[in-house]
Amino acid sequence: MNYDLNKLSQTQQKTSTLAGLRKLLQLIAHEKKVLLLALLAILTNSSLNLLGPLVIGHTIDKYVQHKDYSGVIHNAVILLCMYLLALFTSYNQTKLMGGVSQRMLFTLRNSIFNKLQQLPVSFFNQNKAGDLISRVNNDTDKLNQFFSQSLMQFIGNISIMVGAGVFLLLIKFELGAATLAPAVLILILTLALSPWIKRKNARNLKSVGGMSSEIQESLHNFKVIIAFNRRDYFRKRFDTANRDNYKTAIGSGLANSVFVPVYGLFASIAQLIVLAFGIYLITIGQFSIGLLVSYLSYSTNFYNPLRQLAALWTNFQLAMAGWDRISQILSLETDLPVIENGIAESNVALLEFRNVYFGYNEDQEILHNVCLKLEQGKTYALVGPTGGGKTTTASLIARLYDPSKGLVMLDGRDIRTYSAEERTQKIGFILQEPFLFTGTVKDNILYGNDLYKDHTNEQLEKVIVDANLGSLLAIFESGLDTQVLSSGDSISLGQKQLIAFMRAVLRNPQILILDEATANIDTITEQLLSDILNKLPDTTTRVIIAHRLNTIENADEIFFVNSGEVSRAGSLNDAMDMLLQGKRVS
Amino acid sequence: MKTDTQKPDKKPPGVFSLLKPYMGLVSLLLLFALLSNGVNLWLPKIIANGIDDYTKQHFVFGDIIKKFSLAVLIIFIFGYLQTIIQTYASERVARDLRQKLADKISRQSHAFIEKANPAKLLTNLTADVDSIKLFVSQALVSIVSSLFIIIGASILLFTINWKLALAVVMIIPIIGGTFFYVLKNVRALFIKSRGVIDQLNKVINESILGAALVRVINSQQLEYHKFLEANTEAKRYGLKILSFFAGLIPIVTFTANMAALTILMMGGHFVINGSMSLGSFAAFNSYLSLLIFPIFVLGFMSNLIAQASASFTRISVVLDAPDIVDGGTLKETLRGDVELGDVSLIYGQKPALKNVSLSVAAGSKIAIIGPTAAGKTQLLYLLTNLIKPTSGYVHYDGRSIDSYDSESFHSQVGFVFQDSIIFNMSIRENIAFSDTVTDESLEKAIETAELRDFIDGLPDKLNTVVSERGSSLSGGQKQRIMLARALAVNPKVLLLDDFTARVDTNTEKKILTNIQKNYPGLTLISVTQKIASVEHYDQILLLTQGEIVARGVHEELMRSSPDYVQIFNSQQSTSNYEHGVAH
Repeated sequence: MNYDLNKLSQTQQKTSTLAGLRKLLQLIAHEKKVLLLALLAILTNSSLNLLGPLVIGHTIDKYVQHKDYSGVIHNAVILLCMYLLALFTSYNQTKLMGGVSQRMLFTLRNSIFNKLQQLPVSFFNQNKAGDLISRVNNDTDKLNQFFSQSLMQFIGNISIMVGAGVFLLLIKFELGAATLAPAVLILILTLALSPWIKRKNARNLKSVGGMSSEIQESLHNFKVIIAFNRRDYFRKRFDTANRDNYKTAIGSGLANSVFVPVYGLFASIAQLIVLAFGIYLITIGQFSIGLLVSYLSYSTNFYNPLRQLAALWTNFQLAMAGWDRISQILSLETDLPVIENGIAESNVALLEFRNVYFGYNEDQEILHNVCLKLEQGKTYALVGPTGGGKTTTASLIARLYDPSKGLVMLDGRDIRTYSAEERTQKIGFILQEPFLFTGTVKDNILYGNDLYKDHTNEQLEKVIVDANLGSLLAIFESGLDTQVLSSGDSISLGQKQLIAFMRAVLRNPQILILDEATANIDTITEQLLSDILNKLPDTTTRVIIAHRLNTIENADEIFFVNSGEVSRAGSLNDAMDMLLQGKRVS
Repeated sequence: MKTDTQKPDKKPPGVFSLLKPYMGLVSLLLLFALLSNGVNLWLPKIIANGIDDYTKQHFVFGDIIKKFSLAVLIIFIFGYLQTIIQTYASERVARDLRQKLADKISRQSHAFIEKANPAKLLTNLTADVDSIKLFVSQALVSIVSSLFIIIGASILLFTINWKLALAVVMIIPIIGGTFFYVLKNVRALFIKSRGVIDQLNKVINESILGAALVRVINSQQLEYHKFLEANTEAKRYGLKILSFFAGLIPIVTFTANMAALTILMMGGHFVINGSMSLGSFAAFNSYLSLLIFPIFVLGFMSNLIAQASASFTRISVVLDAPDIVDGGTLKETLRGDVELGDVSLIYGQKPALKNVSLSVAAGSKIAIIGPTAAGKTQLLYLLTNLIKPTSGYVHYDGRSIDSYDSESFHSQVGFVFQDSIIFNMSIRENIAFSDTVTDESLEKAIETAELRDFIDGLPDKLNTVVSERGSSLSGGQKQRIMLARALAVNPKVLLLDDFTARVDTNTEKKILTNIQKNYPGLTLISVTQKIASVEHYDQILLLTQGEIVARGVHEELMRSSPDYVQIFNSQQSTSNYEHGVAH
């Protein structure tokens, strides 16, 4: 299955802003009650804000122009009451809407992370880690900014704007329509330009992602850059990415700010219309000075939010571009579904490959018609030249991938019928590249291990000693409490492999796969490991991939894996002969 | 009022110093901003005059429209120029700052990068630069024009009616004070919530980089819980910040409304008793709405400035780091004598190497063996100048490693790292990583590393792009590419760090023979686990816990070092076996 997000984005048809928004709104569908309350607060608040100028206009016409000061006081008291009520509704409007958006962001982050957890290994192989990290971190941050800051202003502004528009039309339709005319032009302009703006922003986001994965790659491998004296290479590559980013950023910056002065211009034109047309109406006796003052307020009330909306619109576009990239991930489905229970066969091998074919992509088949059987309690070795398909075979045993044709049977059932939990309990896999989480050795050994997770250090040490792993723990300076970092050279590769080994053994799997898991460990420690492996319960099946032959000399059976074909070698001697004579195809 | 609104300007002298090289651009920017804002202040005045003229019955229609249109046009043009310059100025500042940072980082040592932490440097280059960009594009102009409008509008109000003006201007300190109080609290919360977001990102990053492990162990749920915890915390801070803002806006609006009420009551009174015109009364209302927005803006901008100066402080730490002293000038061709004299290395707290001395004659082969965490890799790092010894010396051809020109030095010393480091570019670029590589030496390196068949089998041959972290290659293929990379510079000294670990025995033998044949006279220093591969070497060192516990040729060590014999025995069966096959 194709998981390459960059390729997918080219083939996927662009979703419209509205469709994207609708999908986003589904995330808050369950908050209807709160939303209604918030809407009520918003409406009350805007009406109160908008009635203000009307009352003021009325005061001018009725009392100020007629020199009735007690009337002025009377209306002032009414205004004060309105303003006090607005104080209350305005607080609630923000509080309610903000609560909804914070919870929505929370749900959104959870669903992205959840999705990332569901997707198979191929997804992570096909995408650059830097790009993924940028997608998840930066793009959710863009949404975060929009939701935590812009959205409330957005709604508040829209309600004020709509209210002002309604008042303008109700009081004097002709004047109102004339005042709103420039807004229609703005709307048309906005609609016409918005795809362009969105495109510019999407391009910029992409170049930002490219730049950060560039930096990430170079910085993490800086020692190679130093040792090969390619500091200039780093500078050059970064320079290209930086320049590219500059270009797209200017593009998106100009696109984003194109509206600001235009909005100002139209707002002023509207004021001019009110002034000229209003005075004309007054002269023919259809309008009053007080209403003119109210109208000037309303047109400010209408166009000022519009100007802010222009800025908010940018944030909105940014957020939607981010949402686009995120929903691309959300729309992916794992290609490793758990299928319905099949019929379990009895009297079968613990694990069996039946005519398995596999390739990482469609044009390149890696495994061709592989058949093999693993019995309970035995030790198997996979040997063969590099690139022959050993790791691929092991990955299929652990169901990191599904075969393109053929079946993998575990305990007489199709491996696809097991839930991930059942499967991973049965199968332990020590990966070629050990991965550690930032934390202590203890955290890492117990990672994902429910059985011992509440053990104290003493209890855990006892468990480790009982599992014959005590001698390995001694290699770490502060034992279980030794601090390790996920990246960097805080401990050696060999030590990382030891942690991965302990982690896997303590999970007590039925099948334990070691993919060159001891390659960087010295031979004496390795003998310890080999003793530990031998002392595993009789029922444990071991699958060992190694280049160092002493690690496999105790194997019950040896499979020779070369150019995607797996054949049985009768003995270590046979395997050696095959290895020495075998022509490397890779 | 002054103390309140101008405070943000004084706080970060650092960020403002950044603008020095762009003085021309910035002045132009401010000029346009002030021009358009200045004219903006004129608009209510025009309207007020219009209304007054009308009430006094000598209203000239064309005149007022002309004035108004002219003002609007000026505002538009200058406003437009301002946004364009704003974009260019901010992007240029960002680009140059990134460039400067990258240059600086590129000149730093390995130790610096490890200590500064690549993830943090990434933040410096992206998020921190972005917040400075935001400062230039928004804060700068907004602050200057806001101050201008506040002061300008206040002055105009005072010229119209000083008593009413005094009452209206009262709102500035009230709103300013509210902002100051809320933002002070919110800023503290922001800093804390940033920490939570960092935690959130850490969980995301580790779950992406460790995706394979998570799936093998089925710990998705565990990762999800970690994430949920951080995310809940993030939500809690989000809601806390929200409550502050929810209170801020209503108070500010209410204060502004009170000012409108004051205008109505006092202004109404003045109009009734004839001491103020109706037009001026309308103008007061207009100026009030002009006045409030800039106060808002100043409040928010002070936040932006605080963020930008925090970012700038972080960036400055990197920019101000001392350059590594690159004193070496020697460019001579190395013979290949290597000597370590009494070298100790303290890594963090613990000593990684203790008083290690060794000497390797040009063209000879030496092996370093020893258990995990013995300090073998650090020893190789010392030999490539990636790290410097705490005490003792490293000599090449009898001269200190520091006296060599680094470019010339690194082009003569090849290093095959233990961990596979493959860049996301074509195989050709991955191998010909140094710019001194010729096609000829590239070919030789590929042949020697036994990569010919593999590369020929690829769709685009040498131009095939291998993915990041090399996930599409097998462990052995990656190792051989790394070897070819080291050989392609035609090194005089080759350092191998556990090269044979992931390459099968057959290929390893072929490769070592190839090296002998194609690179005669090469000094070879190999860290390894396999005694069998190095039995015939000129010297074997046994390194344990940072100390050399035994040295000599194989036969000597077999006689003199029980530790060595133990290692040898642990590999016995295989060694015997391999000999059997080889002979």
